[in-house]
Amino acid sequence: MMTVITDNLPVFVVIAPLFVAFILPTFARRLRLVEGLVIIANTLWIAGAAYLASIVLSQNGIPITYALGGWQAPWGIELKAGSLGALFILIIAGVSLMVSFFARNNLTEEVGSYERVARFYVLILLLGGALAGMAVTNDLFNVYVLVEIATLSCCGMVSARKHARAAEAAFTYLILATLGSILVMGGIGFIYIITGHLNMAFASQELGRVWQNSPHVVWMAFSFFLVGFGVKAAVFPLHVWLPDAHSTAPAPASAILSGLAVKGYLICLLKILYNVFGQTLMQQYAVQRILVIVGTLTIMAGSILALTQDELKRRLAFSTVAQVGYIFFGFSLINTKGLSGALFYLVSHAVIKSTLFLAAGAMISATGEGKISGLAGIGRKMPITVAAFTVASLGLIGIPLFSGFIGKWYLLLGSMEAGSVIPAVVIIAGSVLCAAYLLPVIRVAYFEPTPEVDVKDPGLSQKVALIVLAAAVVILGILPGPFMELANMAATELLVLK
Amino acid sequence: MPDLIFALLSGVVGSLIIAVIPQVRNRLRNFAVLFFCAAGTFFSWRVAIAVFAGESAEISGEIGGFPFVLSPDPLGAVFGLIASTLWLFAAVYSFGYMAGKNRQRSYFTFFLLALSATLGVAFSGNLIALYLFYELLTFATYPLVIHERSAEAMKAGKRYILYSLSGAGAILIAIVVTYSLTGNVDFSGEPILAGHRSSGLNFLLILFIIGFGVKAAIMPLHRWLPAAMVAPTPVSALLHAVAVVYSGAYGILRVVYSVFGQELMRTLSFRYIFSWVIAFTILAGVIIATRQDIMKLRLAYQTVSHLSYILLGAFTLQPWGLAGAVMHMISYSMLKITLFFCAGIISEHSGKTRVSSMGGIGRQFPETMAAFGVATLGMIGMLPLNTFWGKYYLMKGSVAAGMWPFALVLTGSGIINAVCFIPVVVNAFRGEKAHTNSGQKTGVALMLAPTLILVVIALFTGLWPGMVWPAVQAVVNWYF
Repeated sequence: MMTVITDNLPVFVVIAPLFVAFILPTFARRLRLVEGLVIIANTLWIAGAAYLASIVLSQNGIPITYALGGWQAPWGIELKAGSLGALFILIIAGVSLMVSFFARNNLTEEVGSYERVARFYVLILLLGGALAGMAVTNDLFNVYVLVEIATLSCCGMVSARKHARAAEAAFTYLILATLGSILVMGGIGFIYIITGHLNMAFASQELGRVWQNSPHVVWMAFSFFLVGFGVKAAVFPLHVWLPDAHSTAPAPASAILSGLAVKGYLICLLKILYNVFGQTLMQQYAVQRILVIVGTLTIMAGSILALTQDELKRRLAFSTVAQVGYIFFGFSLINTKGLSGALFYLVSHAVIKSTLFLAAGAMISATGEGKISGLAGIGRKMPITVAAFTVASLGLIGIPLFSGFIGKWYLLLGSMEAGSVIPAVVIIAGSVLCAAYLLPVIRVAYFEPTPEVDVKDPGLSQKVALIVLAAAVVILGILPGPFMELANMAATELLVLK
Repeated sequence: MPDLIFALLSGVVGSLIIAVIPQVRNRLRNFAVLFFCAAGTFFSWRVAIAVFAGESAEISGEIGGFPFVLSPDPLGAVFGLIASTLWLFAAVYSFGYMAGKNRQRSYFTFFLLALSATLGVAFSGNLIALYLFYELLTFATYPLVIHERSAEAMKAGKRYILYSLSGAGAILIAIVVTYSLTGNVDFSGEPILAGHRSSGLNFLLILFIIGFGVKAAIMPLHRWLPAAMVAPTPVSALLHAVAVVYSGAYGILRVVYSVFGQELMRTLSFRYIFSWVIAFTILAGVIIATRQDIMKLRLAYQTVSHLSYILLGAFTLQPWGLAGAVMHMISYSMLKITLFFCAGIISEHSGKTRVSSMGGIGRQFPETMAAFGVATLGMIGMLPLNTFWGKYYLMKGSVAAGMWPFALVLTGSGIINAVCFIPVVVNAFRGEKAHTNSGQKTGVALMLAPTLILVVIALFTGLWPGMVWPAVQAVVNWYF
């Protein structure tokens, strides 16, 4: 019995949200039922993810492989749930549980009718399933399919609000993201042409033998992947779609888009770079240098642009661009410390940014004001929301005791080991800029006189979600134990392949 | 060890309790503040006495996978003593100063939180703990800087936090470099970098000095300090003349003696550059001070100058120089806080903040201006004030280190200090009695008492410097 569960875990953590997504529209008219189902599905999902993580931890990171439909690799699609997958799925499941909890009783006014709410939940679950799939799949074409599912559901979420700006943002996003998908597809095609394999492990082996025969094709594949995933993960200068898309979406959608969706593409890129191409090829083609340059540019550009934003959600969206830069830069560090730092940073940012977006959403819907100056004195009226926002901000700035610090510390250690000093300075400069764009929000909320207006405090489930997420930021910062261990294992595993 | 925990917790617990006491319960709140400040002081004294007696207390653990050690050594104990004791005085002064003002609850909450952060800085036993509390101190004191909530205060707060966080960023990089070089961040035992020889360490030194130099207000990193003078006077007195700025100076002492160690420091050529930057700060700070008309700004620039006395002592790498630095830390803090207290009393009760308008003010506030006058002599470094001894050892250390020009710098600074403040005192007692609308009269006693007591203590320690000598000797013996 146990082995049945264990053996099927890799596929369970992908199928669970997808399955519920498919049956959800049947109950579309009964909102309570939909919400209940979503939360039950999410709880099951998170239980599966936690169990998977515990197994992977107890096996010292040896992955569980699963052949879909019984077709063994290299012919069939192989799922490989290792430490990277377990870590990421745990975070996806956790964050989306909290986001769904936050969305309870709250979405109708932002999205519209009950049916639209149900559809919105379908999209959240589809996205979750796709992201979980990206984390465990070991098949290149499967990556493409999942990327498409994720892209389309993101697009749906962006346009969930009946608003001209939302439609425009969704359209821009659709065009650029599809462009990204095509490039990813092209990259996969190139790999397939020269290796004849779609399974990552086999393709990588074959690539090691044949890459010298067609060096330009490899170069094309590299650049297609970098640009394709770069568009989707919104690295500078391909980030143009992100601020609009993430700031016009409803709060729960922004939280998931910024916190999770972007990370899925980054994980895909990481897997393709390290598991398919491998370090030798990365060094051969100076991909590292591209990652460093793009990463540091993204950190600076995102942070500076965030400073210039007046609207809270846009500011947070640009901050996401900057944080993607950190992770992107971390991918360039071919050492355990740097890579595990990047992965931990990814995890911590997923939690932090969803907290920030949810809190921002609550503040904005309470005051009806999207500008930062409109939040004056709100700290007294909605203490829990602003406190959660504060904790998450301190985490993002990288104050010790909060999760962001640990990620930054290992990124810094990794860059010292790689001998890159300037990126270390950029990391710190990014932190200071982060303080410069987030602390004013807190200052306005706490230290400016409260205007005499009615402010609607968020409901109980919103508060619970915010408290849990903010607590997670602190707990990850003080006791990162299993998460850091998983990140470490994942980094070691990625570096095994030469 | 329980003493250590109690000393650190008293501020945090106190601030949590004060945060829940309703805004209007002033007496209850003042009582709680006094109680927790006294507790912090009491336990810091116990810790310090144990440390000077050679006992070691250590709390070590892990936070977020990082080693986290609290273990006061003599230098930390001295800083903890200075900070916590003056906190008590500043608390009493604050009761008088804040009486009848708005936002007292927020003020005292962060006032106590900052006590814990400062003691944390003082008692930290490795770089990680030091960094943590150093950051915490920035955030705990920010609300005090912007207490007035005016546009000017907000601007000062922004500048303060950006300067401090940039400095902390430099420190973080430096810590990461140190850690990746040695795998060790502990202050106990040998200096962390002992045995490493590389000219690249010069750049590491720059990072550390820039980082801590922000709070220690080394020029050109000092600009936040005069701006922060918009804070209420007790905050300026305690934090911007003692606790916060000392945490920077203390950090530099730590870097020089615990991270690099004096032997390694001798091989680093950049220490000469820093010594001259410090000497420049000493002179430039006090020269700028003479040109300020607003009393608090004048005092602020003088702080910039005097903080560098301490750093100069650190950079002599001589036992006498270190003794002078520690001595100056102890004695200067008492007198500088007195000067600020006096300025606060005058501005509260006569509304006068400008030096040019203070003619004849001594007739109206005889005790205050007398205290001010005595403290002024101390700033110059005259007997029988305790600052004389600090300056004496600093000069001795400079000469012993072969850096005799710095002894001249110190003398020159003393003369300019005299030019800067003696006329203020003389004018205050000359001319006719100023008739001003003395606004509120509440809390004069509460403000005056700590001021006068501090002056008396300063006189006593000046006449019998042996009273503080055991502490100074403990620090010097620890490092030499």
